[in-house]
Amino acid sequence: MFERVVRRIRREYDRRRLKDPHWADLFEEDPSGEVVSIDCETTGFDVKKDEIIYVSAIRVAGGRILTSSAYNAMIRPESAAMRADAIRVHQLRAVDVEAGRPMSAVLPELLEFIGGRPVVGYWIDYDVSMLDRCVGRSFGFRMPNRRIEVSELYYELKYRKAPQGTQVDLSFNAIARDLGLRQLPAHDAFNDALSAAEMYVQLTDMKARGRTIPRDRGADVATAIAH
Amino acid sequence: MPRAFDTKTAPFDRLTPDERAELVGALDIGYFRPGEKILEKGAPAEQLYVVLKGAVEEHDDDGHLIAVLGPKQIFGIRAVVHGAAGANYQASEESLVYLVPRDLLLSLIRRNPEFAVFFYTDISSKLAEVARTEKSGQGIEGVLRTRIRDARLRPPAFIEAAASIEEAEQRMSETESNSLMVRDGARLGIVTRTNLSKAAILTKLPLSTPVGECTSWALISVDENDFVFDALITMTRHNKRRLAVTRGDETIGVLEDIDILGLFAGNSQLIPGRIDRARSLDDLGVAARDIQSQVERLHRQGVKVREIAAITSDLNRQLFAKLFVMVAPTSIREAGCLFVMGSEGRGEQTVRTDQDNGLLLAHPVPEEDLARFRVEFQAALAAFGFPPCPGDIMVSNPMWSQTVDDFQDQLRRWVLTPEIESPMYLGIFYDAVAVAGDAELLARVKGRFIDLMAGETAAIAHFAKAIDQFPGPGGVISSIMATVGREEPIDLKKSGTFPIVHGIRSLAIEKGLTETSTFERIGRIAETGLFDEAFARDLAAAFGWFMELRLQSQLRAHLAGTTEGESIIRPGDLTTLDRDLMRDGLRVVKRFREIVRNHFKLGMF
Repeated sequence: MFERVVRRIRREYDRRRLKDPHWADLFEEDPSGEVVSIDCETTGFDVKKDEIIYVSAIRVAGGRILTSSAYNAMIRPESAAMRADAIRVHQLRAVDVEAGRPMSAVLPELLEFIGGRPVVGYWIDYDVSMLDRCVGRSFGFRMPNRRIEVSELYYELKYRKAPQGTQVDLSFNAIARDLGLRQLPAHDAFNDALSAAEMYVQLTDMKARGRTIPRDRGADVATAIAH
Repeated sequence: MPRAFDTKTAPFDRLTPDERAELVGALDIGYFRPGEKILEKGAPAEQLYVVLKGAVEEHDDDGHLIAVLGPKQIFGIRAVVHGAAGANYQASEESLVYLVPRDLLLSLIRRNPEFAVFFYTDISSKLAEVARTEKSGQGIEGVLRTRIRDARLRPPAFIEAAASIEEAEQRMSETESNSLMVRDGARLGIVTRTNLSKAAILTKLPLSTPVGECTSWALISVDENDFVFDALITMTRHNKRRLAVTRGDETIGVLEDIDILGLFAGNSQLIPGRIDRARSLDDLGVAARDIQSQVERLHRQGVKVREIAAITSDLNRQLFAKLFVMVAPTSIREAGCLFVMGSEGRGEQTVRTDQDNGLLLAHPVPEEDLARFRVEFQAALAAFGFPPCPGDIMVSNPMWSQTVDDFQDQLRRWVLTPEIESPMYLGIFYDAVAVAGDAELLARVKGRFIDLMAGETAAIAHFAKAIDQFPGPGGVISSIMATVGREEPIDLKKSGTFPIVHGIRSLAIEKGLTETSTFERIGRIAETGLFDEAFARDLAAAFGWFMELRLQSQLRAHLAGTTEGESIIRPGDLTTLDRDLMRDGLRVVKRFREIVRNHFKLGMF
């Protein structure tokens, strides 16, 4: 809650200081109801140090996931050391990493693609933080888009009314399993963005219809006894 | 671009790699909430639907559930290709559905005929194409005339001579082949899995050894325009099991000896000679077993079930005729007519399930002759491996071996004062075909039977009513469509073949037809205008399809040494294409039942 207040203040501040009016659209939430699911593959999990090597963004309009017009970009890390990491961690081939484009070329395209739409993802704060470092460096603001966290939507439908002591599992696999989604090969930005989009459409619809996700009652009882 | 979209299932497996990439790149994914209408009957669609997850119900006009579609199943074909959906579709669970844009689909259909055929509405063209593209079998005479390019060639996989044995092994696994073409500059050789194993295990060469060192460089080639016959001779002459197939200077495939053997049909033409030459029951028994074992061979070689059934019936009849001559005493040979009935009479039996046979006598014969014949004929057939008829419809039963006059009295009772088994007896008898003795006797009795039925509308209706003796396909169709986990097994005989056979039989009696084969009867009934040519084609195709599936299931049961559940199949064991065809087939049966029910006004009974 506190974080959101800080973010709203930050957004207001950024908007007033905005130098390039071209990005003003980002600060007005798109009224269409469309969202963009995003996912980044990075060289590691250090938001301050690691770099993005692949980004995918998929628009969701109503109940339709627009995979046919998805945005995908391979990014060439600035430093040679990071390029070596990318190859090691993601088993990308050196030629692929070298074939990537610099972030400075990809970022404006990505921001145009997202526009004023809210961004959706699993652990979305992480992806946005990664992007923000580059956005800040290039344009002097932080991504103002509203963030929608799928694990939070999932939590609301499954655990909001759970008794104290219920074991909470918000893992990606747990969500996919409860929603009956197939398991796509992980560590692929497109697949991860697609899964998040699929989770988003189903979870928001279930929420609108007042549906909940049943918990395994046996587990509740077991944990209740254990406590 | 959803890379996870499965292009390995029909019909998408028929696209070229470029076309697949194009398709996958153009897909969107739609989400539908439970109860949400996706497509309404008669409406056009801007996309084809392929279920990704969840379940979609297909309903007819009256709101009856026709099917539940699960992952990988396709709907909306008619809506997108012909501009009007054939049914109503709505999500029954939270469902994700791939959306294939209409323009792209139409363009792929125009460009790729094999892909296109899947979208034909008419089931018979669909089946014909499946038979054409997925089966390679043909008769021996055909094999000799076959060009190598028409045989099932294995696409060549290449590797450089400098690559290691380990890499070669890996390449074989990737390409699912047992041999690789090895390139060394301009030189071309072949290396097989056996070569690699020998090098690594027997000769103990390290896995890093260049594959060139265990390659056979004496590669023998044949041209794709040569006859298969030539390839066989070349293999024998050079003592090779594999040949490279060339088109001009290019190597386009590998032909293996087993591929050629696979082209040959069974030795069915040898069996009649064996039956003819048989001097003892033991000789005849050998021929009887040959008839049965060739069924599986013919099937494996891709011969269509309708032809297998025709060949098998023909041979069985020759066998019966010969047995009759061997076993029957002179009195019965002179006065009698031996006939087969039921599926044997219709020429639709492949794997022996039972025997239905009978004997008509022009006049009484000595009682002891008849008694001995009944026992010996039956014992011989049992020894040949024909299971006895559970309903006891065999010459050993006096009811089925008597004089023409007595038998006609019996027929009249079955028609006029039917008991519970009467319709079954009448149906089986109507399919009778004479195999030995005076065929005129049977023709006369069948003629009387048709005359008898012609005046008795109620009797025919009573007879036809048996098509409803098994549950209607409403429940059955929905269960076959159900997603994995909720599927129910389906009885091919009860839901597929029986309603067609019996419905057609009822109509055939009414029209006084003398044909016995269901396929022929369908053709003749269409001529009378009771249903149109297109429906006749669909019905015959569906019938052939059910027979095909039944044969597969029978052969599986046969291998497992049981006849239990031989006509039961589980939709989950079928490929998506087979499941789709099954769905089409069951739909045809449903329509046909309605036609028969309306025609005989069965609703009134």
